[in-house]
Amino acid sequence: MNLFIRDLIFSFRRMPFVWHMALGDTRARYKRSFLGPLWMTLGATIGVVGLGLVWSSILNQPRAELIPSLTIGLLLWQFISACINESSTVFVRNASVIRNVKTPFFIFPLQLLIRHLIGLLHNSIIIIVVLIVYPPPVISSVMILSLFGLILVVLNLLWMIMLLGMLGARFRDLEQIISAFMPIVFFLTPVIFKADQIGLNSSIIWLNPFTYFMSLVRDPLYGRVPSLTIYLVTLLIMLLGWLLTMYFFNKRSARLAFWI
Amino acid sequence: MSTLSFKSVSLQYPIYNANAMSLRNQLVRIGTGGRIGSDTRNIVTVSAIDNVSFELKNGDAVGLVGHNGAGKSTLLRLMAGIYAPVSGQVVSKGSIATVFELGAGMDTELTGYENIVRMLMLLGHSQLTAKQCIPDIEEFTELGGFLNLPVRTYSSGMMMRLMFAVATSIRPSILLIDEMFGVGDAAFHEKAQLRMHKWISEVDIFVFASHNHDLIKKLCNRVFRLDHGKVHEESMCNFLE
Repeated sequence: MNLFIRDLIFSFRRMPFVWHMALGDTRARYKRSFLGPLWMTLGATIGVVGLGLVWSSILNQPRAELIPSLTIGLLLWQFISACINESSTVFVRNASVIRNVKTPFFIFPLQLLIRHLIGLLHNSIIIIVVLIVYPPPVISSVMILSLFGLILVVLNLLWMIMLLGMLGARFRDLEQIISAFMPIVFFLTPVIFKADQIGLNSSIIWLNPFTYFMSLVRDPLYGRVPSLTIYLVTLLIMLLGWLLTMYFFNKRSARLAFWI
Repeated sequence: MSTLSFKSVSLQYPIYNANAMSLRNQLVRIGTGGRIGSDTRNIVTVSAIDNVSFELKNGDAVGLVGHNGAGKSTLLRLMAGIYAPVSGQVVSKGSIATVFELGAGMDTELTGYENIVRMLMLLGHSQLTAKQCIPDIEEFTELGGFLNLPVRTYSSGMMMRLMFAVATSIRPSILLIDEMFGVGDAAFHEKAQLRMHKWISEVDIFVFASHNHDLIKKLCNRVFRLDHGKVHEESMCNFLE
């Protein structure tokens, strides 16, 4: 059977273990400090309030409009960038496990993803508070689409972590390359601004896959259904990404234990 | 019924230097047509295992001997399925447990109890069965109240006790061990030996890499000598002399 598919199946069979590890990591962070992962939430709150106040006057936008969109954008970006930033070391950091116990490889990207999802859940407190202070104009069933969007984002992140993790095990400077490029990607992603504010020159924004991810999660919360193009592009990225990852995995995964 | 068989298995693996592990250098190499950069490609290939075939059945207890770097650990990792062979086939039937480096999956911030469950789950237990192992480990390690403290507060001897107890509470049918390790103080050492021997006697197939010939004589009934990636079986009588 296809190596890649088999690894995925075995990994999903070990989901209870993956959950346990991700929860254990989160618990370990609570142990080091009183607030634990909530420190991140506090940091994010300060960031959102600060940026919201500054940018609403710079961009000349009403706070009630900017702050909620900024909050959701910033927290989603934090989640995405944390996953991408750590992706290149996902196997290297687990070297002691991989070299000593026979395990499927996908459990490590899954563990990383779930750990950050738990962090996002912590941070969603801020989103709830902001949505109470600045309620969206209409509350509709469209908001459910946001959750569906998040699932699509997570499915995309999973192949990205796997692919970058394999590359990062072979090429150790990938970690530095990624952390050097992530700030640029941040400015090319409509986190602070909205994609339609850029005007005609926005083609480079739409070449960035994270732009689509943003719309998928953020737009439905404001009662806007993301356009069909956004869904199609995301699905296309997902399909191509998984195929590429599968190709690399089948070709190279046998060497992974030697790289780390 | 457990089996473990190698059919003309070979394994070569690359060792990369710092240049070959840099994506930037690789891209520069492509960019310059690879002519100036040809020196940067210093990849040494180690031929660790060379055309090895054998078959192990129930009741086999194999001692692996050979000088340092002969490929003992590599052979064990191939048996465990951690390394995939470049050519040939490794076929195994039965659950495999390995004792190479202890303490895989340990998080020193978490308590002893949390780490027991974590490590056992990594080794294939469910959360429920992992928790059932706790009383036995409690009793064996004699760590008492320390199990409620973060593992980072343990002395190295205490950590060793915990890791050893966890590793030996798995019930595999194929057991692969790389070099015996000293565990704690003298009194505990004896207790550990006892647990170890009982553990080994319960498995179907046992493979043990060691430089300690006395121990191999005591525990094993077959001896494989590794030399430059080749495996020769020595008869037990020859080995004893």
